[in-house]
Amino acid sequence: MEFAKKITRTTEEIFNTMIFLEISPEAPLAEGKLVIPCHISAMIGLTGDFTGMLSIHCPAPVGLAIAGAMLGMDLEEVDADVKDALGEIANMLAGGLKEAFAAENIALEIAIPTAISGKSYTISSPTGSNRVIIPFKVEQGQFFVEMKYSLN
Amino acid sequence: MLHTKIIIDSTQEIFSTMIMLEITPGEPFTRGKEMLTNSISGLVGLAGTTKGMLAIHLPNQVAKLITTAFLGLEVEEIDEDVRDAIGELANMLAGSIKSALDPKGSDIKLSMPSAVHGEEYSVNCLANTQSFTVPFDLDGKTFLVELQLHMEG
Repeated sequence: MEFAKKITRTTEEIFNTMIFLEISPEAPLAEGKLVIPCHISAMIGLTGDFTGMLSIHCPAPVGLAIAGAMLGMDLEEVDADVKDALGEIANMLAGGLKEAFAAENIALEIAIPTAISGKSYTISSPTGSNRVIIPFKVEQGQFFVEMKYSLN
Repeated sequence: MLHTKIIIDSTQEIFSTMIMLEITPGEPFTRGKEMLTNSISGLVGLAGTTKGMLAIHLPNQVAKLITTAFLGLEVEEIDEDVRDAIGELANMLAGSIKSALDPKGSDIKLSMPSAVHGEEYSVNCLANTQSFTVPFDLDGKTFLVELQLHMEG
């Protein structure tokens, strides 16, 4: 399914064309129990030939930087603007992935983005499902794009 | 098609047939941007001709009670069993609500469920949506079932 490659490509394309922030992809995180230290996540469900959940996870400073770059504003706190911006990024990422899979005759529909934020939360998917997490480095730290999926 | 009625009927059906716990619906309302504390939320996306999200938000205590009833296990904390049980609960609820919204079964599909839990977090749907939340009483404690449906245009 080449999730890592598709995620990396789609993320880079979106950041280069819509957000204008320098990012560098890192190697996918290894399998196993992972706790990603984040304060803001945007998630969007995918369904069709397989089911999944795409998320972008950011620590607060990175979330503020990304949303700020996208909106052309200096943002101080994780408020509605930041959530909306990250939700829109999740939406665009899902759209990009949908296109990439469609080119391989794998059909997907996209749900709607949801923002999760807080000082301490954990997001999990059903035991036995698969996940691919790609970290991206930016000036302010790292953000993570995660794809959880189940091949029906 | 009254959305809150669909939520109430589906939730009561799942609880009486799969969980075997008695629940009482309360007054529907529109959930705002409040933080959830010491809670767990099960989330499922809806996609297709109707897009949306179904969420169930439970205080930890209620989640553990439901996991015990559903899986027949005693649970001490929000562990993998609880997360799986709540994800599955959201999945079943979404399935039941989807059947009511889309009786033909061809227009709406469900995404993979997810569970979010923590000391303090917020869950906010970001699209332009109609929002319906129904509180339910379970043994003197409250949990919420929330349906967000995307409006076109």
